[in-house]
Amino acid sequence: MTILATEGLTKRFPRVTALDRLSITVGTGVTGLVGANGAGKSTLIKILLGLLPATSGRAEVLGMDAATRGPEIRRVVGYMPEHECLPPDVSATEFVVHMAQMSGLPRTAARERAADILRHVGLHEERYRPIGGYSTGMRQRVKLAQALVHDPRLVFLDEPTNGLDPQGRDDMLALIRRVGTEFGISVLVTSHLLGELERVCDHVIVIDGGTLLRSSAIGEFTQATQAIAVEVEEGLEPLAARLAELGEAVAVQGRVLTVQVRSESTFDAVRDAVCDLDLNLVRLEQRRGRIEDVFKEPAA
Amino acid sequence: MTEHTAIIHDIGYRHYEGPRLGRGNAARALALHSLRGVFGLGRTTRAKIIPFLLAAIMMLPAVVSIAVMALAKQSGIGYPSYAVAMQAVLAIFLASQAPYLVAPDLRYRVLPLYLSRPVTVLDYVGAKLAAMTAALFLLLAVPLTVMYVGELLVDLPGPPHTRDYIASVVSALLVALLLASIGLALASFTPRRGLGVASVIAFYLFTSAVSGVFFAVLSANGHEIAARWALLINPIFLVDSVQVALFGTAPSTGEGYPAGPWSALILLAVIALALTALVSRYRKAASS
Repeated sequence: MTILATEGLTKRFPRVTALDRLSITVGTGVTGLVGANGAGKSTLIKILLGLLPATSGRAEVLGMDAATRGPEIRRVVGYMPEHECLPPDVSATEFVVHMAQMSGLPRTAARERAADILRHVGLHEERYRPIGGYSTGMRQRVKLAQALVHDPRLVFLDEPTNGLDPQGRDDMLALIRRVGTEFGISVLVTSHLLGELERVCDHVIVIDGGTLLRSSAIGEFTQATQAIAVEVEEGLEPLAARLAELGEAVAVQGRVLTVQVRSESTFDAVRDAVCDLDLNLVRLEQRRGRIEDVFKEPAA
Repeated sequence: MTEHTAIIHDIGYRHYEGPRLGRGNAARALALHSLRGVFGLGRTTRAKIIPFLLAAIMMLPAVVSIAVMALAKQSGIGYPSYAVAMQAVLAIFLASQAPYLVAPDLRYRVLPLYLSRPVTVLDYVGAKLAAMTAALFLLLAVPLTVMYVGELLVDLPGPPHTRDYIASVVSALLVALLLASIGLALASFTPRRGLGVASVIAFYLFTSAVSGVFFAVLSANGHEIAARWALLINPIFLVDSVQVALFGTAPSTGEGYPAGPWSALILLAVIALALTALVSRYRKAASS
């Protein structure tokens, strides 16, 4: 089922073209929107919310034209902006209740939903304290909660892992995965860090300079390259040299040797080479292709 | 057969099946939330001090007036001149509370969250304007009404000043609308609350000083008509002059105001100008 679609979507600002004839379709589930800073991700979200008129082309969200039915779209869509957007002197509970009312929920329903959603995003006792004293991780949770409080059918998350430490990043990504699966809310999540989206997305769209670079299911991305990672205690160079002699495609990446799998015999070659050179094998694992590789390939 | 009475509590995600109200409801909720906030309700204790202190000061003349009526059997302060007499309190209230309504949402960038919901820029500005107008109106109309109820209860000789009371309530609404438009427009131009407070109070001091100086200089030089026009520079006198023109009440200052519909037209023009500035400010903020 198509959740949103754009067709030849173009947005020109006086000095820069943010989107250039972008045509994408997004289905249910969690979709990653990847691109470097300035690739046009935030502009696309603003157009989809009906807040910014496109220069040309069409955008449709949940079957509604973004150019003409913005208010209707915004009733059933949630938005978590990239920037800070929380007032410091109110508590998370008050803030989320207020934002639920702004989405059209009656006051009692707003209270119930706010309590529910704050629990789901993992804010407990601290939700009664003013937001000013929260850590970055807690603020991101409040921002997510206000985007989900009115039970939208689709939620736009703009760089939700920005500024989080590795643990906070993992928690946020797990939460996003839950929103997409357990909550049954479709997610469009943007990031400029490609690696983290592989873990939570069903589908990834890569844009660069406002144009579509690639759009495909996550499985296709990771099957694109088949490689194994080899780590040994010492003697990485001799191992690489030996394998290269045998005709394998190898690359040294720090302490890890990446070997392209040509056939079953590649595995044997690695095993034999390690034995022959009398090395201590630390790790030998299947390496999934990384989304990063998309940028190294020519545009698909 | 035994009945199974145990209940499994599902603490998983629950979808919302209830009603989703429209823009109008959201805007009303925002206006009410803002109005409560102006008086510090739902905020910290410290935020309640100034509005309630000023509201109490606004009540003082009404209370004194009722006492005078009850004890001395004389009319106290006149209804039409209440706003003029208390103009400094109104100005301080406006300066302290108008920035609260607009500055934090700009400073902490909460505005995009409002706009990602069904409410539009106009709904947002309208709700804030309604809240500030209602707050100023209550600040004036409550003491006026208390005083009127007092007058009816004391039952002075002669008919009650019902016409004056109605005139003062109508002009209280005009004062509230004028001050709210100007105050919010000025405050919205800076995301800093302190600067907002300073700019609103500076505006009031400037207009009242300029109007006072011009009035004194012009009337000393015999330019009576020009002096009357100079009074209108002060927004409170402007509304007083409209009150005089509409209801024929006695002017609260000087020898009177320029006759005719001009003051009413100026009042409308000033409100329109302030609202245009306010809306264009938010249009710009929304698109950035």
